[in-house]
Amino acid sequence: MAKDSIKIRMPALGGQGAVTAAHIAATAADTEGYYAVSNPFFGAEKRMAPSESYARIGTVPIYDRGEVIYPDIVMIYHPQVITMGKSYTMPFYAGIKENGLVIINSDKDLLTAEDRKTLDDLNVKVLTRDFTQFAIEQAGTELATNMAMLGALFGALGTVSKPAIEEGIKDRFLKKYTASGGTATLDSVIEKKFKKKMDLIQKNLDTASAAFDLTAEWCKEVGFEQMLEAPGK
Amino acid sequence: MSKITDMTKTHNWSGQKLVSIEHMLFEAPRTKHFMTGSEVLKEAVKRATVDASVSYPITPQSEAAHLIGELWAEGYVGVYFRGENEFGVMSEVAGCSMAGARTVTTTSGPGTLRAMENFAMWSGTRAPMQLCLMARGINSPLSIQPDNLEVQYLLETGCMIWYAENVQELFDMSLAAFTVAEQPDVHVPIITAVDGFFVSHTREAVELPDDDIALQPYNPYAAPLPPIDSEMPPGRFLRDPFVMKSNYISYATHASWQWEIRSAVERSKPYARKLLNGLVHTSGNLDAEIAFVACGTASNQAKEGQRELEKLGIKSKVIKLRTIRPFPEEELIKELDGIKHVFVPEFNVVGWLANEVKAKLYGKVDVNIHAGPKVAGGMSLPAEAIIQEVMEVVNPGKGA
Amino acid sequence: MALDIYKVNPEFRDIMPKEIIDLEENATWAQNQEKPRGIKELPETKELLEEHSLCAGCPEAATLRYVLSALPKPEETVIVNSTGCTSLMFPHIALHTVHSLFGNQNAVASGIKRVLEWRFPDKQKDVVVLAGDGATVDIGLDYTLQSFFRQEKITTICFDNEVYANTGGQESGMTAKGQVFKMAPTGKKFDKVPMWELAKTSGCHYSVNMTGSAPKAVAKAVREAILVAREIGPTYLNIYTPCILEIGLSANEGLGEMKAGDKHRFEFYKHVSPEAEEYLKKCKKEGIL
Repeated sequence: MAKDSIKIRMPALGGQGAVTAAHIAATAADTEGYYAVSNPFFGAEKRMAPSESYARIGTVPIYDRGEVIYPDIVMIYHPQVITMGKSYTMPFYAGIKENGLVIINSDKDLLTAEDRKTLDDLNVKVLTRDFTQFAIEQAGTELATNMAMLGALFGALGTVSKPAIEEGIKDRFLKKYTASGGTATLDSVIEKKFKKKMDLIQKNLDTASAAFDLTAEWCKEVGFEQMLEAPGK
Repeated sequence: MSKITDMTKTHNWSGQKLVSIEHMLFEAPRTKHFMTGSEVLKEAVKRATVDASVSYPITPQSEAAHLIGELWAEGYVGVYFRGENEFGVMSEVAGCSMAGARTVTTTSGPGTLRAMENFAMWSGTRAPMQLCLMARGINSPLSIQPDNLEVQYLLETGCMIWYAENVQELFDMSLAAFTVAEQPDVHVPIITAVDGFFVSHTREAVELPDDDIALQPYNPYAAPLPPIDSEMPPGRFLRDPFVMKSNYISYATHASWQWEIRSAVERSKPYARKLLNGLVHTSGNLDAEIAFVACGTASNQAKEGQRELEKLGIKSKVIKLRTIRPFPEEELIKELDGIKHVFVPEFNVVGWLANEVKAKLYGKVDVNIHAGPKVAGGMSLPAEAIIQEVMEVVNPGKGA
Repeated sequence: MALDIYKVNPEFRDIMPKEIIDLEENATWAQNQEKPRGIKELPETKELLEEHSLCAGCPEAATLRYVLSALPKPEETVIVNSTGCTSLMFPHIALHTVHSLFGNQNAVASGIKRVLEWRFPDKQKDVVVLAGDGATVDIGLDYTLQSFFRQEKITTICFDNEVYANTGGQESGMTAKGQVFKMAPTGKKFDKVPMWELAKTSGCHYSVNMTGSAPKAVAKAVREAILVAREIGPTYLNIYTPCILEIGLSANEGLGEMKAGDKHRFEFYKHVSPEAEEYLKKCKKEGIL
């Protein structure tokens, strides 16, 4: 049974672009006709330090604020979130709801037998995939990992279209964006890498699109049902 | 100046005999003097084996502050200097207390607000310093008279707040304050508030014990947090910026710590009851149906009003609150038994004490609470105004 | 007494992590040294800093390690810190440290120093302030200078990265004129505050402006500053520790930036009062410098 709203928790490390991803996710969902909210959560700005962000998407107005303590979807952007406990929740899936989804960026399976049992009991599906490698293959840079993760998220949701995702990405990278110091620095690093901004946009889109398709396929294989109802428009 | 090494097991560094707080407050013979509140604060600090004080001028506490300086020159206080402004002073006081000193300071009105960031840091650091607050109006416009609105700003800083009514009470309270604040299961800062000019500059009779006795020194090693003096293993809490470890640790610590501070303030009640002879004091007609709930000078004025009302055939009683934080809820409820009307006379435009009383009594006592009369700017509140207010409520339309 | 506070309870020794045991057995505490502590011991001993959570390659982190290795008597040193990137390292330091409010570090240090002198008249306890440029020169300027006016016997070390780094890179009083940072989108309009000169005119007996490029130079300045503060009066060290993140450098480019600084904007400046000069000569003779 699809819900009228879902909450997404994205534990990552500083510098990976999780905050950006949450922002784009909410913008894309908003473009698609949903109510959507995104927010970051971090202490001092530091690379490789825990950095969590959240997105809430629904067909009803969203009042909930702050951390997502009971997520429907948890997206682990870096294996160290699990292996080094660089997370605000322990275990990393704490609070996850029934029929939820966990997406882990890792080249190895990081779940213990206990994890698997707990998640199985809740009918939570887990997708583990090396999205960093995927991003390097698709876009030539690991800074596009967040784009791959985004594509995977929407591939699993199924109700936010690729044009809406494109809109979200364009909004973030083309418009003047108020970023924190660390984010602004990374923005200029990635800009230097791509001759034209449009190249950057295209590469991001391609990466997200490829991850979208891959994940949609996977969902069919494992029988992951539609989690969020379609927007009313 | 003195040296701390002059202190022995029986006498402090200025040669005063060390006695218990009970002896100082209840047993030592007393002689009568005639002095102002500022002068009596000096007398209290003189008998309190105080390690440190930092001062800064602002009316009406400058006299008290410079008199403590004289105590330092005379060898009673260990460390003393003038700070650069009140924010600096309160931070210096924090440093003194953290390093293990029994520390006292004073300020008023605009000075309190200038220092504001420090008070929550004080309580969060569980440092037991004493601030003698001589209430005065806050700008703008400027008024040096005893408006006590500044106390409201301090209510949620996590510090204990006691209110002295007159010169005698200021003496006894400021001595008891050190003892209660320094209890290991309390160990939070204490603010002893008193009205500027009406107490600080008013000369009246007081009974004081001799000045050859003094309180036992502060033992920083009995504190719940280790002092910052490299003599004990370092404490790794609270004086560290936790957000640098994780946002999660910092908010969880902040939450539990803040709850603990409020509990610590509540835990002061048994000690305060004993040393203050009760958290409230009731006087007047004990079988009255009208009660005044007041603190500081407002209590004095209410007592004046009570006497005059009695002559007019109207019975009333005055319930003076000695402590504001912790709020003496139990005692107040007991004293309000049989009361129909409560009046809360105050020296501020907001009526913060009436708000406190209403909030604490809601759903517990069935009385009509009247916030007033209120005066602001520190103007005087004559008994006549109180009588008029009472008459308008109990004899409406018939005039005073 | 001092070193005893770092001794592990014998009953807990077998469950203590190695780092704690190391602190007791293998750190260069002054009590265990014959010669003054310094950089040379760094590679072989347990540092007084366990780890730090600053960016990889941060010059502040490197410089803090030099500072900690140079404290004349770390077991009797209290460090007062302030809000900013420097405070990210403080939870990991083995010594007594305090972090109070942003800008009040010199006021807190004044209170601590005076009380420690009162409570322990026969012991030498050093109080050292370590804060960034925002804390020292902007929000804390009043308290920093006033502690100098009052001749407080403390050492103030400013890790000058010319910006409010921890809050995302805003202009500070120590930013160079013309530099573009947040809150100065068209460049800073006024000159960098010459804090090391202000320190001199405000009463410091020893004031230095340098970069963190040379560990031994930093260690020497720290030792001299603390010794002078013990006997003569307040001392000040301004050390350029650039924020590689905010000026767009990578982890291994911080050292080069400091070396460039040595040649231009941070040419070595040193002021020593005659009394301090005398005293340092005496210390050298006695072998404690």
